[in-house]
Amino acid sequence: MLKRLLPLLLGCACAMLQAAPPLSDTRLHELASDPFWLALGHYQRDRLGGWHSHVDDDAFFFAERGERDPAAELAAILAALYREPGLADRHPQCRFPARTRWLRERLTLNDLPQPQCREYDDWYAEIAPHSTVLVFPAAYLNSPSSMFGHTLLRIDPAGIDTQGSALLSYALNFGAYIEGSDNSILYAWKGLMGGYPGLFALLPYREKLTEYSRLENRDLWEYRLNLTTEETGRMVEHVWELRQIQFDYYFFDENCSYRLLELLDIARPGLELTKGFSLTAIPADTVRAVEQAGLIESVDYRPSREKELLERAAPLSQAERDWTRRLAEDSAPLASPAFQALPTGRQAQVLDAAYRLIRYRKSGEERDEASARDSHRLLQAINRNPPPRLAVARPVPPEKGHPSRTWQLAFGNREQRSFAEYGLRMAYHDLQDNLDGFPLGAQIEIAQLKLRQYEGNHWQLQQLDLANIRSLTPRSALLSPWSWQVGSGLERVIGKGRHDNEQLVGHLSGGIGSTWQLDESLVGFALATTRLEQNEDFAAFISPAAGFDAGLLWRNPLGNLGLEAGADYFHNGEVRRTLSLAQHWEIADNLGLRLSARRELSQQASPASEVSLQLRWYHY
Amino acid sequence: MKRILLGSLLAAVSLNALAEAPGGPSCGWGNMLFKGQRGTATHLVASTTNGSSGNATFGMTSGTNGCRTDGALTYTGKPMLVLGSIMDELSEDMAKGEGEALTTYAVLLGVPPEDRARFAAVTHEHFAEIFSSADVTAKDVHNATLAVLKKDTRLAKYAEQA
Repeated sequence: MLKRLLPLLLGCACAMLQAAPPLSDTRLHELASDPFWLALGHYQRDRLGGWHSHVDDDAFFFAERGERDPAAELAAILAALYREPGLADRHPQCRFPARTRWLRERLTLNDLPQPQCREYDDWYAEIAPHSTVLVFPAAYLNSPSSMFGHTLLRIDPAGIDTQGSALLSYALNFGAYIEGSDNSILYAWKGLMGGYPGLFALLPYREKLTEYSRLENRDLWEYRLNLTTEETGRMVEHVWELRQIQFDYYFFDENCSYRLLELLDIARPGLELTKGFSLTAIPADTVRAVEQAGLIESVDYRPSREKELLERAAPLSQAERDWTRRLAEDSAPLASPAFQALPTGRQAQVLDAAYRLIRYRKSGEERDEASARDSHRLLQAINRNPPPRLAVARPVPPEKGHPSRTWQLAFGNREQRSFAEYGLRMAYHDLQDNLDGFPLGAQIEIAQLKLRQYEGNHWQLQQLDLANIRSLTPRSALLSPWSWQVGSGLERVIGKGRHDNEQLVGHLSGGIGSTWQLDESLVGFALATTRLEQNEDFAAFISPAAGFDAGLLWRNPLGNLGLEAGADYFHNGEVRRTLSLAQHWEIADNLGLRLSARRELSQQASPASEVSLQLRWYHY
Repeated sequence: MKRILLGSLLAAVSLNALAEAPGGPSCGWGNMLFKGQRGTATHLVASTTNGSSGNATFGMTSGTNGCRTDGALTYTGKPMLVLGSIMDELSEDMAKGEGEALTTYAVLLGVPPEDRARFAAVTHEHFAEIFSSADVTAKDVHNATLAVLKKDTRLAKYAEQA
């Protein structure tokens, strides 16, 4: 009897469940074209005028065509919100709290079932969102991929400044999810080309701090945003909807910074921050956009551990630096009369520098007993004789640096022939460019095109760079980093040529060497180089060369001056030498004027000289 | 297929995490001075994609860098977990008598702002007892700290409520 009744009873229960209210077609389309709904679905216009979501994950959509049809998706989730509340954590309302809230408010859905969202409620309570900080780990010289920087968000609970600690806050990071163990070339390639899925991750901020400040030695900039508690909460609510949801990840455009801008658009609808970042979203440009939108309330700066170490060692004498190195090798001489003879205040600084040096060297390595013991001994000594607080001066913040794209216009003369040259560089900075917000000695150029028009209206492709990266990090008494460079693309070199003594060649080149700080504003560098070249003047299709590249970089009141000499010795006997001098004049924040002179020598052609004056306009 | 692959990868990661002792040994990042903390340098490769390798965590889950929230942790969980991940920073701050990690520890112990200077001074003074060797674990440090606090009339109450 009961068995027969059961289906009936269940049938009644189902009938009692509410159904979604009917929605007219016009109303549905009106709602589905609301910017906030489009933002929640990460929709963007495609070329044919339709919609397409950045999300590449079926779990994110209820409608079959949800990825391309915001209206169908809206109708589908609206129905799904009325599912059996017993689904609890698996209920669409629990999976999509931001969509739920918005629909409930827009359609005054007072009759929604009320599932228990335990997981979500616990998660939200643990984060306790109150305010938002945009975090920008700046570029680190010796890591090319970091040169663009990165951005993430920190979500702080209430009272963070007076009661709490940022180390207890959560960081929200968007990054590629890397499967398995691709080698690094494949890794970089796939990272650039979208071979990895992108996912949001939420993890303790202290781990991100360790990663950037200790392991990668990157300075951190923290921009407190003026988002209200409600706005921060709305954003975090949506972040839950993105849990384990895959996006396509592209290094240049759909990257960490772009995704964060999307989130800020959700926090405060109407900001439209993502507009204007369709081709590239370079973190510093996006920080600038956030600043221009008036979102930044205050800025904090955290120097990297490396910078702190160098700052601590800066005032030390040569003898004290020797002590620093010795103590970092072995803590035994701590008790020696020679060390004890140093004045107490100087001892304190040496101890701190030595401790920092050990930790710097050990960073990222497996723990070993000997260095752990030495570190501990130094800490005990520091405890008895603590150093004065370390104050690292705040450099110019990265968003105050020049915008990433550069337009170039030059006039010049090569061997009695005048020319005009038109150039565009998609990103980012070279050794002489306006320096504010960038480290001296760093260069990363991606996609640069130069067209030259000689008198008589003769046009030629002068240069097409794929990438051109240089990292000149000075060695110091305590640290001895390598300097290096890589470059690839098409360029004109001295040769037989068709019309003149210039030949367009393809090349792949690299170099490694050292850089020295010769004076406060002067560095010198010397690198051994190799080069593969495809040159029509040569018999072989590809010709290898070895050579050197050395020069000076001087930071002067006008701007940067570079003096450089290089040579390539080809296996076929050709020897090509160049000597160049360039003085850059920083006219304005986004404007530079550069005077360059160049002398090229070759076995195959007569020497050539070139002088040019170039205007550089940094504009995004 | 991709999802299945990812799913099994995640499962493999969490299995690995489960195979480890509570709180470590691979709990935390590289650069670890004290036992119970050890890291790998694999995260260095994460910079072109700014991603994480095999660690798509979403807060609250166990296994943030191998640190586990569950298991045989004697204390309320969170303080020990956090302590385990800031041992290096904390030891340095305590030796010097100030710093963010030291403040964080005070927050975890429920020490309000008005008592934090005192907390910093007392732990600085007793650094040698709290970080008694290079082999102390987060648990040792926590126990030793509580013992030190108990001897201080103003701070004793925070040791009792912890």
